[in-house]
Amino acid sequence: MICDFLKTCCADPLKLLGEWFVLLPAMVLLLSAAAAAVMRNLIRAALCLTLSFIALGIVFITLGAEFVGFVQLLVYVGAVAMVIVFAILLTRPDQLAKSGSAFSGLGPAGGAAAGFVALAVLLGFIFASPLAKKPLSAPVSAPVAAIGEALMGDYVVALIAVGILLTAALVGASVLALEDKQP
Amino acid sequence: MDLLERAPIELKSWFLSLLGSFGVPQWILSVLSALLIIGTVIGVFLGLFALMSVMERKILARAQNRYGPNRVGFFRWRLFGLFQPVADGIKMITKEDLVPRTADKAVHFLAPVAMMIPALMVLAILPYGRDMVPAELDAGLLYFFAVGAGTEVAVFMAGWASNNKYSVLGAMRAIAQMISYEIPLVIAAIIAAMISGSLSPSAIVAAQGGFTWGFVPQWFVFTPWGFAACLVFYIGALAESNRSPFDLPEGESELVAGHLTEYSGFKYATFFMAEYVGMFAVCGMLVTLFLGGWQAPLPLLTIIPSWCWFLGKVCFVAFTMVWVRATLPRLRIDHLLAFAWKFLLPMSFAAFLAAACWHYAGRGPLAWFLSLAIVAVPYLILGTAFSNRFALSRRLYQFSE
Repeated sequence: MICDFLKTCCADPLKLLGEWFVLLPAMVLLLSAAAAAVMRNLIRAALCLTLSFIALGIVFITLGAEFVGFVQLLVYVGAVAMVIVFAILLTRPDQLAKSGSAFSGLGPAGGAAAGFVALAVLLGFIFASPLAKKPLSAPVSAPVAAIGEALMGDYVVALIAVGILLTAALVGASVLALEDKQP
Repeated sequence: MDLLERAPIELKSWFLSLLGSFGVPQWILSVLSALLIIGTVIGVFLGLFALMSVMERKILARAQNRYGPNRVGFFRWRLFGLFQPVADGIKMITKEDLVPRTADKAVHFLAPVAMMIPALMVLAILPYGRDMVPAELDAGLLYFFAVGAGTEVAVFMAGWASNNKYSVLGAMRAIAQMISYEIPLVIAAIIAAMISGSLSPSAIVAAQGGFTWGFVPQWFVFTPWGFAACLVFYIGALAESNRSPFDLPEGESELVAGHLTEYSGFKYATFFMAEYVGMFAVCGMLVTLFLGGWQAPLPLLTIIPSWCWFLGKVCFVAFTMVWVRATLPRLRIDHLLAFAWKFLLPMSFAAFLAAACWHYAGRGPLAWFLSLAIVAVPYLILGTAFSNRFALSRRLYQFSE
């Protein structure tokens, strides 16, 4: 048994590495997400969260969802991580120490419970969806052209609705920022 | 000629088959093949960086009517000071590496690494010549911008970990600038992708092949919308790579050196290197998207190998960036952001509309006229509005006074 394993290792280590490589970003994802949750230093926690965004993007790419992986990197690392960091930088540390977060009264047990409830709800929806009942056979492939055609064809209404929502958010943000300029 | 064209590929396969004839296993060969490509790309770009670091100073010196570095040579031969990068490298490596006592040491150490990785990774999808793409990706353009987004995190890490007011201010300026200019940059890139119908860089280059009337290359820059988008992309590229006139995150007169203030020795050199390699990468993207990639400008000149054309064009765009640095003064931060949001963004939308009209009007003379009008009218309106607003207005201070 071990001899067979070693033989396959020597014959084609790259294939073996490819099979095991999927696990590496997943482990980085879990570890960095856990680190982001427990770290006291807020900036380091935010950087760990960024690392977990990157690892999630790599997980998507190794699973064959190239497009989603790149969009994950572009949106979460390029934009969301920066927004989080700016929010931390623009918060005054003395206020933060006094008030704490809204959930700090719950304690670690309450936080864990809330996390598990959220996970249970998500898992319930995932297993209820028709995707979960499909057998996992052939590797899934999603060429970029097919995604583009789907977005511009069947889902064009949703796409435009999201566009309008984001534009409204942008206009709202600039109105909020303008307010203190008025005399 | 065909031999020279395919020389890099043939050389690699010859080397690998030579090793294969000695009985080297297949998997080692495939690893070696990948390493050879990576090594060549990194070697070429680091060589270009070394050359650029001396050429930039030479060109700036020429623009200011002085000599520039002309001493360092090899024993007796001075060679116009071409060995300056070697001396710089030795100096950088032997310098003391200072870390502030109150700095976040781990993040301070990781920031240059985090800056270098995306700069090298984006080089993977550029088509360097005919059939010469290190990684052929369907969504190559998206990969370029997705990986490039990591730079912002690195700049923030450097600024924050230094625990210095100048560093934090410089990093916040740099991030504000990068996020603002990334939007026109991406929209300009999308225009080229939209017209060629693909996100893959090699398909975008292929769409610019051929010649009108037998001698005018069909590069995107020679259409009204392409010219506008190319200029928007160029300005965005200048800002993304923190080059003059957008180098105010490192403005010496106000911020010492921005997020680089507390870096010295080889860590500083790594930042410097990452900035230049990132600049070459974004120049390569500009060449790929609008200047025809590796295509020759005249049918006659196709005898020169395609990868020479690509490198030549990249060097030319890099040269214009130095030229701009020698010509234009640094902007003020509010002018910089206003320029991004009030001028570049509407112009990129105008170019987008013009490209769509050009496509649906049949890509003929009528399409030319229509798209020219759609680009020129907003340019004239915005341009006059801007020059009136910023020409002789009184400086208003809101926060500093």
